[in-house]
Amino acid sequence: MHNQAAIVDEHHHHDSDATDVFGFWLYILTDCILFGTLFSTFLVLNYPGSPGPILKNYSNLHDILIETFLLLASNFTFCLASLNLYKDKLCKVQLWLVLTFLFGAGFVFMEVSEFIHMAHEGFRWDVSGQISAFFTLVGTHGLHVSFGLLWILVMIIQLPLLKITAITKRRMTYLGLFWNFLDIVWIFVFTIVYLMGAM
Amino acid sequence: MLQNLIFGKLTIEAIPYHVPIIMGAAAFMGIALLGVLFLITFYRKWGYIWNDWVVSVDHKKIGIMYMILAFVMLLRGFSDVVLMRSQQALAAGSHLGYLPPEHYDQIFTAHGVIMIFFVAMPFMFGLLNIAVPLQIGARDVAYPYLNSISFWLTFVGAMLCNISLVVGSFAATGWLAYPPLSELYYSPDVGVDYYIWSLQIAGVGTLLAGINFIATIMKMRCKGMTLMKMPIFVWSALCAMILVALAFPVLTVTLGMLSLDRLLDMHFFTDFSGGSPLMYINLIWVWGHPEVYILILPAFGVFSEVVATFSHKKLFGYTTMVWAIVIITFLSFIVWLHHFFTMGAGADVNAFFGITTMIIAIPTGVKVFNWLFTMYKGRINMATPMLWVIAFFTTFAIGGMTGVMMSVPPVDFQVHNSLFLIAHFHNVIIGGVLFGYFAGIIYWFPKAFGFSLDEKWGKRSFYLWVVGFYLAFMPLYVLGLDGFARRVNHYENVLYQPYLIAAALGALLIMLGIACQLIQLFVSIKNRRALRDKTGDPWNARTLEWSVSSPAPFYNFAVLPIATEIDQFWIDKEKHLAEGRIHPKDIHYHPIHMPKDTPIGFIIAMFAGIAGFALIWHMLIPGIIGFLGVVLSIIARTFSKDIDYYVDVETIKKIELQHYKELTNA
Amino acid sequence: MSHHEVGQSDYGTGQKKLGMYLAGVISCIILTIIAFWAVLSDRFSRQEILIIIFSAAIIQFLVQVICFLRLTTETEQGKTNVMSFIFTGVILLCFVVGSLWIMNNLNYYTLI
Repeated sequence: MHNQAAIVDEHHHHDSDATDVFGFWLYILTDCILFGTLFSTFLVLNYPGSPGPILKNYSNLHDILIETFLLLASNFTFCLASLNLYKDKLCKVQLWLVLTFLFGAGFVFMEVSEFIHMAHEGFRWDVSGQISAFFTLVGTHGLHVSFGLLWILVMIIQLPLLKITAITKRRMTYLGLFWNFLDIVWIFVFTIVYLMGAM
Repeated sequence: MLQNLIFGKLTIEAIPYHVPIIMGAAAFMGIALLGVLFLITFYRKWGYIWNDWVVSVDHKKIGIMYMILAFVMLLRGFSDVVLMRSQQALAAGSHLGYLPPEHYDQIFTAHGVIMIFFVAMPFMFGLLNIAVPLQIGARDVAYPYLNSISFWLTFVGAMLCNISLVVGSFAATGWLAYPPLSELYYSPDVGVDYYIWSLQIAGVGTLLAGINFIATIMKMRCKGMTLMKMPIFVWSALCAMILVALAFPVLTVTLGMLSLDRLLDMHFFTDFSGGSPLMYINLIWVWGHPEVYILILPAFGVFSEVVATFSHKKLFGYTTMVWAIVIITFLSFIVWLHHFFTMGAGADVNAFFGITTMIIAIPTGVKVFNWLFTMYKGRINMATPMLWVIAFFTTFAIGGMTGVMMSVPPVDFQVHNSLFLIAHFHNVIIGGVLFGYFAGIIYWFPKAFGFSLDEKWGKRSFYLWVVGFYLAFMPLYVLGLDGFARRVNHYENVLYQPYLIAAALGALLIMLGIACQLIQLFVSIKNRRALRDKTGDPWNARTLEWSVSSPAPFYNFAVLPIATEIDQFWIDKEKHLAEGRIHPKDIHYHPIHMPKDTPIGFIIAMFAGIAGFALIWHMLIPGIIGFLGVVLSIIARTFSKDIDYYVDVETIKKIELQHYKELTNA
Repeated sequence: MSHHEVGQSDYGTGQKKLGMYLAGVISCIILTIIAFWAVLSDRFSRQEILIIIFSAAIIQFLVQVICFLRLTTETEQGKTNVMSFIFTGVILLCFVVGSLWIMNNLNYYTLI
């Protein structure tokens, strides 16, 4: 009877795990629409000839390149954490998660410094619609990354406590989707906002 | 300094104690609330309410709570109707009526916001929650805990809107809060902030519910039920939820940008410094158009269920019905500009969207014909749900036709923002959405509560609603064609007054209809033993939800069904008549895995409410507390292992036996 | 072909492989460098820069989706994921292109 219940349990958990990940994937798709709307607004408000200070005078493409590599690195280290998760190597998972956190934190640190520097120089969100759209688009991405960092911290604490189970594997899958997704959005941010802005 | 950090802009002056109407309404609400609280305390039901309802993650309970919220907010939104109709009936020529413009503006804004966000959407989610999991043979939705969060967030949004009546003011901008009027410099008081944050909070709830139902329908159908064997109501729910998932993020961003303009002095939609108010209108309708299809598709789904059941006939053209829903879903993403033909776009843009709008009428027409063909040569039972369907056919057809009229840009230039437009959208929303939801409520009420609604009072409310609707809105078409604009609290031409008096009488009839619905509820509860649904299938229906007792057991199905055909239950019924039912003692049950109730959904929503209120009044410390409360509650829950349990076989057997006895003795 | 252990859930993602991740990160680094170089070196016309950076972006997007997100049609769930992804993309395109068309049109006619 116990065994039967256990099998029912396993079966059920695996079924619901697939459903749960699908739901998170759906959330990611809604987040795509969210960023899409921010991008549309950015493009509309940054039409050629719009008034006010322009981005290329206040941003440094070399810094953006470094930020891009930091985020890319964190994406890669997270994938390595996932690989080790499925090999049940908790210590390695923690190691790669910590590195992911550090790279991600580096990204956020650079971005916040960039924002503060811009604001000091007069490239402020309350000066023009163009700049409002910039800060909101890039800032929303940065906020998402910051939430991701918080989540990584929670996982670093939770994994040794709850151990590697179907539940924690599922949560790492969510986090992986989220973290990868943020790097994908960043591709469009640096292309459309910074590279196009620098032309 | 500390006072500022805690209270922000909030002072005692925020309560409008010098406006008698508001104070009267507040007193009324306060007395009603105190009355309810007193009754709960007197009958010692606090424990029951907390343990059985507030912390529940059961979709059936959550569905009922959505319904209660919707009905209460209907009363609030309808009181706005009474104010507006009486004002317009009085304020002709030299009479100014009793509502000054600043107040009238808040009333029509609140009316729109409440009816769409806090009546129609909760009614819809109520129906979805009660019916969908049962119809697909599932035990609950995909994410029961998220379901609880969604409901409580919607509840908090509605409460914020209600609080605005007494503390501060509501937006006076119309239900979509167009900038630059909604910007800080033209609306410096907290009204627009109440608007923004109650919608943002409720919007998150809605988005999460959308994801929940898509996952439920895609992943939790019982064995054998392929997509093309699902009930049409489930198809309409799936497509409506896809619309929710893809449209609501746009609303979140747009309102978010408006709030940034107001809070941080940004320039998204200001009419200077590089902002674009037109972009707001574009974005808000990118959301707004799918929103109305979100409301109507489940109503179409209800009609499909009700027509088939009450004609005792299989639904005509299942495949074309599905395709019609899917096509409507896709097309609803490419028509949004028809809401602002007059904003100044060129003929090419206007023509494109005009044509797409005309096209979307076609699949809708296909559905109407399929319903009529279902009824043809059926044996029709004219119970109240069927009456609502019949009224829908004519009413919605008229509303749809006026919509197609306005899809022609040159025509729209004449009637945009006139009472013609008002009459059109009320025509389709009341005639389509509301009639459909009413039919659905009466249809599924026995399943939810275990007893049917009284037919006599149901019919009375129906006739009053329908006659009242036509009397209230047909005059508005005439006035609109004559050039009468919307949102006016006073007009010079006294020749218009008779029309508006007729409209006010129509509103009065509707009010009596609502009163009959309340009486229907009381009478049905009083006579619930006589009206008890013993078999679980009071209408002799076709789909799986009718195969369980009424109300359904908390685990829905003791043994998950297997559906090999459309309307599997109908087929099973014939088999039961021929072969007889199996006694529960001969069935082998397994322990059922169920989610545990949790207060976290409620707690998250309360913290969100605190954060929302704090954002409105710029109260820094409460804002931080609210925000941290949400985040920490979410994180805390993830560390909990006590989130589910197993129902043992003895309990299941006992419940099933009880239902079997009632069924065979019926 | 993806290999499933008995009882392994179908998350709809392809099997995790170190090779894929390495190929992915190296391609992304190269594509990023190409895009930045196109802008920073002064060799290209505006038109050419736009083509290069957008092509690089779209290719890098696909690389990340396939190599990191592991979006695949190998499993049933994977097919559902890809379909919902494409549908979202289509609707997103309608929103973005539609909005840009409308706003550009409005800008021309109303100068607001």
